[in-house]
Amino acid sequence: MTVTPGSPPTAPAPAPPVEPALDPAFVPNPTVVVSGVSVFFGPKVALSELSCSFGPGVTGLLGPNGAGKTTLMRAVTGLLAVSAGRVWVAGGDPRSDRAVQGHIGLVPEDEAVPGGLTPRELIRYRAALHSVADRQAPDRWLAVVGLLDAADRPMDGFSKGMRQRAKVAAALVSNPTVLILDEPLNGADPVQRANLIRLFRQLGDQGRTVVVSSHVLYEVERLAERVVVLVTGRLAAAGDRRGIRNAMADRPRRVLVRADPPRVLAAALAGHEAVGGLEVDGDRLTVATRRAGDLALALPGLARSAGVRLWEVRPLDESLEALFRELVR
Amino acid sequence: MSAAQPVPARSRRRGRFDPQMAVVVARYALRSCFPTKRRIGLALPAAGALLFALLARVIPNSAPVALAQVADGGLFGVVLPVGCLVIGDAVLGAEVRAGTLHFTWLSPASFATIVAGRWLAGFAAALVALALPFGLAAVVAGVPEAIAPLMVAAAAGSAAYVAVFVLLGALTRRAVVWSLGFVVLGERLLGTALSGLAQWCPGWEARAVYARLGPEALDTLHRKGIPEGGSAVVRLVILTLVALGIAAVRLGHLRLSGPSGD
Repeated sequence: MTVTPGSPPTAPAPAPPVEPALDPAFVPNPTVVVSGVSVFFGPKVALSELSCSFGPGVTGLLGPNGAGKTTLMRAVTGLLAVSAGRVWVAGGDPRSDRAVQGHIGLVPEDEAVPGGLTPRELIRYRAALHSVADRQAPDRWLAVVGLLDAADRPMDGFSKGMRQRAKVAAALVSNPTVLILDEPLNGADPVQRANLIRLFRQLGDQGRTVVVSSHVLYEVERLAERVVVLVTGRLAAAGDRRGIRNAMADRPRRVLVRADPPRVLAAALAGHEAVGGLEVDGDRLTVATRRAGDLALALPGLARSAGVRLWEVRPLDESLEALFRELVR
Repeated sequence: MSAAQPVPARSRRRGRFDPQMAVVVARYALRSCFPTKRRIGLALPAAGALLFALLARVIPNSAPVALAQVADGGLFGVVLPVGCLVIGDAVLGAEVRAGTLHFTWLSPASFATIVAGRWLAGFAAALVALALPFGLAAVVAGVPEAIAPLMVAAAAGSAAYVAVFVLLGALTRRAVVWSLGFVVLGERLLGTALSGLAQWCPGWEARAVYARLGPEALDTLHRKGIPEGGSAVVRLVILTLVALGIAAVRLGHLRLSGPSGD
């Protein structure tokens, strides 16, 4: 899967500079600027005074379910009106400026596709709506996403992965400058997943602004150099993916150790510098640490010297949600 | 955000009405909004029109009078609004609920173009699914001279009905409920009592078109205070344009939040 269709997009009018360049939530030459945006659904706050920007290249939008990723993406594309704040895409308001829509491509998370339509029909429609002159463009994008063989089959019978790929082609056929991808890898098999990741990286390398959302950390790490983390509608972290990863690695963790006898192991661990706290409950020992790596290295040796048998060692809060919660503290 | 924003030209922001693009939207809507099940659903009102025509044959009156009787209660009272409700909801409201309207919304096409394209698709569907069966109903009822009047009345009425139901699709996610409310409460209940309101109801005006153009019309088809014939067609055209205009404005304020509506 290589990207050939479409020339590199014309540089859109720059969005207004809004924040100091040193703030990692902002990029120097943004194509998408989100300024103080809040979105309310009745009493529910989906986004709260969010400010950040996106520029050329791939940016990963990371967050647990319900963090506001989809809401932000819909606000950026103009599908949702913001309750407060402003959004600029290519120098215009995506909600009211129809010309801006010529720059935007969206792959939504939901599986909905027009009933009875084939991918070729959908992509041709999108091409016609965007006045794409190149009549071969639909078929080329179908080939890029690996759907040429299924181009004339109704999408009703497609798997989720195939629908996602059809929507990717439909979004790309207009040669958008800004590509918003909401969980685009959902349902894709491992081969297609790798192909799509390569495709998105190539699109970013071409100078397009590609924003990819996911709640899977390793997926975003493979896709994007820059990461923006949302939690409960707020900006939790932003910046280089390694910095984010390090911030997550240094956070306090709790490790469950099942050992026999646990109190002896607790006594052996008590003086170790990686240990921040200990709690014994039956045969379970909970260890609080800021240096999980050091603890993992030291634990077997300490247990052996204390004559303790280890049954189980596992982190208690390794889920992404726990990481995100820690980031917003 | 302190930087002053350049205000783009109004036409650039909203986009211009593009008839060619409206045809593109209409062709897509005809293909995507009327899958097999819905097409079968549309065959039911058409079959209903023919059944009402058969009913006219057994009514012990002259054929034109009998046809006018079934046209009043059946064709314009049931078949036309129900058929148009299915069609009008299909071309916009159903897509909003299904979460697929963004394929059209996210484009440089103006909202007026999108609404016109959707309405055009609905109107084309109504011509085939309703106006043609209405003409056929005149033949079945044994009143061939009523073919053109019935088809004109059905076409003009469905144009306005579809526009109203497109508007309701742009106003609310529960477009079917509101559309039924419009027909039952607005047209049948209030419209029957208030001529001023009935003047702006597609069902009453469609009757009024037939009342003037048809070969023989019952007194119930003539209604005081409601313009008939060509004037009724003009009313229906005005109603269509107003409904589509409001729908175009409303389309820019839709919250397209996916199939769940969350």
